[in-house]
Amino acid sequence: MKTRTFTRLMAMLLTAVMCMGLAACANNGPTETTAPTVTEQQTTITEATESNTQTSTVDPDAEIVLGAQRNLAPGEMDGYYCSKILYVWEPLITQDENATPIPALAETWEMSDDGKQWTFHLRQGVKFHDGADFNADAVIANFDRMKLGVKKSSFYPLDINAHYPNLETYEKVDEFTVRLTFSQPAPTQLYNMVNFGSAMYSPKGFDAEGNFTGICAGTGPFKITENKLDEYVLLERFDDYWGESAKAKTIRIKVIPDADTRFSALKSGEILGVIDLGAIPPALAVELEGNPDFAITTTKSTMIRFLTLNGTKFPFNDVRMRQAVSLAMQREVLTNDLYYGFCIPTTNILNYSTPFYKDFPVEENLEKAKELAHEVLGDQRVSVTYLYNGSDATLKNEAELIASWLTEIGIDCEITPMEYSAQKELMKAGDYGIARMQQGLSNSEPSTIFRRFMVTSGDHNQNYSLGYQSDEVDELMAKAAAALDVDERLECYNRLQEISTQEFPVVPLFNDKSLVAYSTKLTGYDAKLYGIELPQVAWAQ
Amino acid sequence: MRRYLLQKILSLIPVLLGISLVAFVLGVISPGNPAEIALSQGGYEPTPEQVAQMEREMGLDRPYPVQYLHWMGKAVTGDLGMSYSSQRPVASELARRLPVTLKLAAYAMVLTCAGGIMLGCAAAFFHDRWPDKCIQALINTQLSLPSFWLALLLILLFAENLGWLPTSGNGGPKHMILPALVLSSASTATAARLTRSSLLAEFGKQYCTAASARGISRWRLVICNALPNAIVPTVALLGNSLGGMLGGSAIIESIFALPGIGSYALDSITNRDYPALQGYVLLTGVIYVTVTMLVDTVSMLLDPKVRLGGQKI
Repeated sequence: MKTRTFTRLMAMLLTAVMCMGLAACANNGPTETTAPTVTEQQTTITEATESNTQTSTVDPDAEIVLGAQRNLAPGEMDGYYCSKILYVWEPLITQDENATPIPALAETWEMSDDGKQWTFHLRQGVKFHDGADFNADAVIANFDRMKLGVKKSSFYPLDINAHYPNLETYEKVDEFTVRLTFSQPAPTQLYNMVNFGSAMYSPKGFDAEGNFTGICAGTGPFKITENKLDEYVLLERFDDYWGESAKAKTIRIKVIPDADTRFSALKSGEILGVIDLGAIPPALAVELEGNPDFAITTTKSTMIRFLTLNGTKFPFNDVRMRQAVSLAMQREVLTNDLYYGFCIPTTNILNYSTPFYKDFPVEENLEKAKELAHEVLGDQRVSVTYLYNGSDATLKNEAELIASWLTEIGIDCEITPMEYSAQKELMKAGDYGIARMQQGLSNSEPSTIFRRFMVTSGDHNQNYSLGYQSDEVDELMAKAAAALDVDERLECYNRLQEISTQEFPVVPLFNDKSLVAYSTKLTGYDAKLYGIELPQVAWAQ
Repeated sequence: MRRYLLQKILSLIPVLLGISLVAFVLGVISPGNPAEIALSQGGYEPTPEQVAQMEREMGLDRPYPVQYLHWMGKAVTGDLGMSYSSQRPVASELARRLPVTLKLAAYAMVLTCAGGIMLGCAAAFFHDRWPDKCIQALINTQLSLPSFWLALLLILLFAENLGWLPTSGNGGPKHMILPALVLSSASTATAARLTRSSLLAEFGKQYCTAASARGISRWRLVICNALPNAIVPTVALLGNSLGGMLGGSAIIESIFALPGIGSYALDSITNRDYPALQGYVLLTGVIYVTVTMLVDTVSMLLDPKVRLGGQKI
């Protein structure tokens, strides 16, 4: 009898093992069906929503659970407490879909004729989550906090010198007016102040060192009611919000670092959407195409991917060799085959999300690349080290693809995966040939990008051993800094972008697209330049 | 016995000192200037003056032995420094996360003990028959499967397709089943294999032959006679496994979104957060040697040969 029982137990055990094996072959949904087209600029896969109209009534106040790959509310020690995409705090100035500055807590503003003074008229009747009034005193308190020193953050450093370069004074003019005075003309200051550049918090929530004393109190449509670090953050609709109320009553955002787990959580209905940078890798996103239960939206991203070439050494100290590398890149193949079209090829160093971006044709010409390389190398071949961040598996395939194109022009790559920080060490020491890097755009004012990569003393120019030097660039940067007129500054920026596509301080590959996926049980889940429009997210009826 | 325990505790001191030295050297030999790394978290580019000032504040301008003694002095009082990335005390971060790892390890250990010993007994009981062969195949599979792959497979089956269990997160027993299964997979297999071979060795001994000759049932022979003798090496193995589970759950915690000390170590590696890594190495080292000592003590209580220094009785 005992033997029989034991045999049955064994059979159950074996069945479980077989189930595990079968899981690998499990059907992941109708991914083989004709995929709907995903177009650029906030386009939603509409077929998905149409075919999945909810017939049952949904409690509109039921909690909505989303997933993110990192802590979106790192807490008291973070300069911002939480990300902008939670809509807990609001800035003075925000941006529209084209990254043009638009009013947020500052309703109107004016610049003095000499470009050195900016006066902001604040929105009235705004309250912080802790009941405090938003007024000029609150703005001054936030500037006082920034003045205490750089606050580190998981998002962008809270650095008054970066957001308000050459700021001399800030003062309260009246209850709802503040004035900033700069030592140099600052015609594009608004772009520096967008979102993270002018975040406003209730002054009651800081300590003497400018750190938060508890959950931050902003003015946004959501307030944080619970923040369990590394697990989830719970948002609740702020009923005294000055603008249109958020549609969802409560939203819980879980931290799920692993992309595959996040994807499984979405498929199983445990979470209803993914947000934040890298919310869903393109390879997984394509699996959702054609599945009526899910939709994906895309928009421009602030991230650009590029190759850095060691311009302090032969052969990349010759501009012709850098041009040859760019011409040899088959960017369309790269973006379509490896990234499933969720990125846009470019040769411009400036990310395409800023209104200062100028579009240049992406030239691919292997014959011309060979000629230029031959002029530099002669009949010899050169061997270089190609570094990439080993934690990103896609970069290995990308490196092999790029290396195969470079062999055509006489460059043999020794592909070396590295820990990211160690890679940067080698780059700083100039001990490499080619490296794969990326750069985000912290705000729409592009001078930071030009300064870092193209100015001789720029930190990336130095730290990546780009060896790039151009008198014209230095002159243009000085001219742009002194320009009072935005058009005059734009002219300088256009020329700088043009130079970047001709002399290649770095070899840009593509601009990312912001990619988010969600269950069609939700509506209003539109990708934005940074995050999603969270207050518009609601249950589909 | 008291003398034995005292010897064990004294022998831990050089081991713990060694661990602390390794943890400290980790920060010293790692590439990059810690002051610069501390300042450049979150994308900030510090000036050389800021780096120099931070070096002074962190005491990096002092000789290494002085730095080590200073670090050790603070570590003994529970101060493991501040995390570069989170700006919080490393000790409090570890204290916040340790219960999650302990919970996961406890679940995994229960599965290892139950699964390993049961499978081992069953395999020995059905020696060379088909259940034994099936169990051997299962053991080999468990030992061969990489934990990250098994984790994804289990999530796919039990969470995504069947919907029986949550994919991830820190919660009740349901949340712990999948990560504990993965974490215990290899150790269960090893325990099962060891239990089986120990039992088979015991079966060949005279007392088992005598018991069989007296008509005792085979199950009773296994459970009541052979197992108490065969379990001693398995207990030692389980102790080592517990140490390994506490220190080796990094990938599993990351996949299952469990905020334990393992995922903290992984994040610290990504952020080059050396104080956090040093704290992790020190803590897991201390846990490992403590668990080993406890296991040795249990083995001593179970096995008189250990207690009497290997003398036959």
